Amino acid sequence: MSQNIAIKEKYPPGDFAIWIIIYVELITFGLLFLGYAFSRRADVALFNESQLMLNQTSGFINTLILVTSSYFVIKAVKSITSMSEESVAEANAKASKWLLLAIGCGVAFGFIKSAEFYHIFGEGIGLSTNKFFMFYIMLTAFHFMHVMLGSFILFVIYKKTKRVGYTFGDYSGIETGASYWHMVDLLWIVLFPLVYIIR
Amino acid sequence: MKKYLELVWAILATLTLFAFLLGYLKIISTFFVAVLLFTTFIKGQLVIDYFMGLKNVSWKYRIVPTLWLSIVITLIAVAYYLPSSSS
Repeated sequence: MSQNIAIKEKYPPGDFAIWIIIYVELITFGLLFLGYAFSRRADVALFNESQLMLNQTSGFINTLILVTSSYFVIKAVKSITSMSEESVAEANAKASKWLLLAIGCGVAFGFIKSAEFYHIFGEGIGLSTNKFFMFYIMLTAFHFMHVMLGSFILFVIYKKTKRVGYTFGDYSGIETGASYWHMVDLLWIVLFPLVYIIR
Repeated sequence: MKKYLELVWAILATLTLFAFLLGYLKIISTFFVAVLLFTTFIKGQLVIDYFMGLKNVSWKYRIVPTLWLSIVITLIAVAYYLPSSSS
């Protein structure tokens, strides 16, 4: 009879330092989310009216892009972590393809978000327009920088897979970069309904 | 390889489409905000468990993002459902 026992790992995947960074980032964004939510209470009409200027469709597409990129990244990680000593080159090649798709998603997110900023700034809207746009620009621009940094990290990992740099039992780097990318996805999962949908 | 990652992605994409349709069709209401926040929690927890890979690590590491998600979503709900100070 087979037993279905989930073996608990002692530590989360990747370098431990990245988890300290992730926890700090979560707290920082969490405070901004709550700042938005409680500021909205003070002037619901202003927030609802300002929200109408946002493009929900681009927010939706960007959410799908980030969720899909996270899927590509975990597929890359699984390709590497499930390799055997005989399949190192094959696993790196497979991971590089998944990573390239994820990087493409990061670039697509950047283009869509830039177009959204171009439209908003073109309307003469800035940080000082009102409280809604102050939070909107701060949250999304701060998140945008994380996406760009995450895409760069994925690119560095991609280059390493092209050099067959991850070997059997030595793949902490890809897990570290992947954890950061998933955090970027997690933050947007909360940001999208909060800023674009809830009214 | 098991297909659970594909299932997780499909759930995330479906719940994202659901959120978008609530906004796009302008049917967001106090009831649907509760549903939306609940589905946001599910999405976040799926990312934490299956993409970040914390499902099978020591509880003290998994609890931090789970607590973060729970507290943030609960307080967003509190901010939404408490009577507005401007009304």
